[in-house]
Amino acid sequence: MPDKIIKTNGPVVTVLIPTYNRRRYLPLAVESVINQDYQNLEIFVMNDGGEDVSDIIESFHEPRINFINGKENRGKPYRLNQALAKAQGKYVCYLDDDDLFYRHHVSTLVDILENKTDCQLAYSDLYKTYCRIEADGTRTPLSKKVEISRDFDQMFMFYFNHVLHVSLMHRRDLWDKVGPYDESLNVLIDWYLTKRLVFYTDFYHTHEITGEFYAALSNSDRISVKRREDQKDYCRNVMAIRQTRPPKPWPKVKDLSIIFTAETFDQTAGNTVGNIWRHTFYPYQVYLSMPPEDFARLSTDMMNLVNVPVARGSSVEAQVDKALAVCEGDFVAIVPKGHSIHEMWIEDPLYALINSEASLNGFELELSNDEHWAAVLRKDVLLRTRRNSPNVTLKESLIRSGVDLKKLQPEEIPFQFDELHHEAQAQIKDGNWARAAQIYEYIVKNHTNNLWMRSQAGQCFFKSGDYKKALEHSRQINSLRPTVDTMLTEARVHRRQKDFCKAIELLEEAKQILEGKYIPWTKSCKTHVA
Amino acid sequence: MDKVLQNACSLNYQMQHYEVLKELGDCYTSTGEYEQAKKCYEKASILGPDEAGPYVGLGVIAFQNELLDDADIAFRVACRLDRNCAEGFSGQAMVAQKKGELEKAFEMYLKCLELDVDNLTALLGLFQVSCRMGSFAKVIHYLEVYLQMHPGDASVMFSLAALYMKDGRLEESRDFLRDILALEPENKEASNLLEEVEYCFTKKQKEAVAV
Repeated sequence: MPDKIIKTNGPVVTVLIPTYNRRRYLPLAVESVINQDYQNLEIFVMNDGGEDVSDIIESFHEPRINFINGKENRGKPYRLNQALAKAQGKYVCYLDDDDLFYRHHVSTLVDILENKTDCQLAYSDLYKTYCRIEADGTRTPLSKKVEISRDFDQMFMFYFNHVLHVSLMHRRDLWDKVGPYDESLNVLIDWYLTKRLVFYTDFYHTHEITGEFYAALSNSDRISVKRREDQKDYCRNVMAIRQTRPPKPWPKVKDLSIIFTAETFDQTAGNTVGNIWRHTFYPYQVYLSMPPEDFARLSTDMMNLVNVPVARGSSVEAQVDKALAVCEGDFVAIVPKGHSIHEMWIEDPLYALINSEASLNGFELELSNDEHWAAVLRKDVLLRTRRNSPNVTLKESLIRSGVDLKKLQPEEIPFQFDELHHEAQAQIKDGNWARAAQIYEYIVKNHTNNLWMRSQAGQCFFKSGDYKKALEHSRQINSLRPTVDTMLTEARVHRRQKDFCKAIELLEEAKQILEGKYIPWTKSCKTHVA
Repeated sequence: MDKVLQNACSLNYQMQHYEVLKELGDCYTSTGEYEQAKKCYEKASILGPDEAGPYVGLGVIAFQNELLDDADIAFRVACRLDRNCAEGFSGQAMVAQKKGELEKAFEMYLKCLELDVDNLTALLGLFQVSCRMGSFAKVIHYLEVYLQMHPGDASVMFSLAALYMKDGRLEESRDFLRDILALEPENKEASNLLEEVEYCFTKKQKEAVAV
């Protein structure tokens, strides 16, 4: 796409730029939006009660900018809600006031959403630019790295975010479904959005690098970094996001109902429910079968608790049957008082169940026994067995209906990619480059995130002295989507082979990217930054 | 999962820009484009103010341009920034050798080889200086060490053969030269020296018989 082609047709895209006390960097951010090769834009700049930036906005003489000059510091979610309520675009994208889009950011994502996918959200890769802040406040780039280039992973998104605000574009009408930002949040705001969007759409990942976000080496002025320093508040934000359940119907997520059973709701029962709240990140509701007056006495901040009114002293089976009649989940977990709850306690079997054939009924949970029987099942299976054999124990009713519950196999659990990646990182830390390279190569062959992992493999092979493999991997990436790191690795091998011309060619390109003068394209042509 | 995200970070995130410039400078130096190389090294030295590498590069360029004082300063800065900068000591030795300061050159080559026995420039420099100074014991040691690590390196085998001959170790010298010629039958220098060694060897045998 040559530099001078400007796209004036196509749907309107709303670009949101919240700002707070970043006068120095805001002009660059706004300029990067105005200079997009896609021109059909509606731009909102929302000052969140910081230093006055009216003069900066006016200096652009840009009719497409809507400036919201907030006088009070109400927080980023408030400002995003304010602008989104007015936004007219078919699509929405986001830019922080110290980051920047490359010229093709908007056009790349619009093209995908309009022509290449049914997904209602697309995201790209970004350079994370580590900077040294000089005495006069200017930023000297020390490196530009694509640190995360992760393909969409719904289960991971429930656990933590892997798609940054700055890298994504979504349909504006999705926001009407997910509802406004939670204005009590002050960190991980992008995760709040992506976590909720996941219920309605899959995400399309393009490996194109379409922008940069900044990281200072020390004393970061990023609000998100500063806010993380308060651990308690940070955890509050994480828990609030994990518990979030946007309005139904959810076309992309199956619901989980956790039916908690206890003959008496005592301290042990309280601890078990507390542990469920702490350690469960898959969307769920806990159904507590107990007399309403007892439920009303529970003093807790826990969200997603649902009372199922039963008479005091009801049997476990009666509690489950009552809850089953009202619960919303596609899957049901039966959890007795005192059951051991730990990280991934339900996500491991649930993930296997979601991804299994319909003939698989469910799993007995780890540490389940006859006294404290615990399982996760398809709700329709449990309903059927209870209807067939209502007057026996839960386990007995399953046996009588011939329902077989499986034991979980290691290859069925989620996050295997992350386990391997983590292992490779540990090997690097110990200086075992060859081993790390082997692990990355294994991931390339057997898992997702091919480009990202191949890039890691190339660097590790180089460090281990296997230049042939290093060249093979880095060259392959550079033919698809070059980055500074992969060009540096390939150049180093060429230099060792005394092919100085090829090395210089690659290093000059890398240098220009670092200096902000050049953007490599994965498409057929390349463009220079104005 | 924060840990996973943190671990995803590459290790050298502070030095990438520096490394690109340093590497580019080295490539331009190799192709003789010294002005381009100099610009790269100067920028690299700003990005990595504690790194010796760019100063070694600047020293090499100055040396190639016969600016011996500038080269010496650059190599000294490199050694001040990194006490273990073998290339900085080797550079200082080359400057001293060029200026005819053989003792200093000898000392600096030795310092370099103490840090990096693998440094071929220092090894061959030490060999040349030793020949001019007539002092062979140390250089023989380093050449032998080097050869253990790089068996079959003809240039080092030849240097050792020459030193053995000067030291009167004719049999060892002859063996090395025969090995070189087995590897490189066309090696004229080796065949000439072998002729000389064999002549000395025969002469020595005759003298022994006469005695």
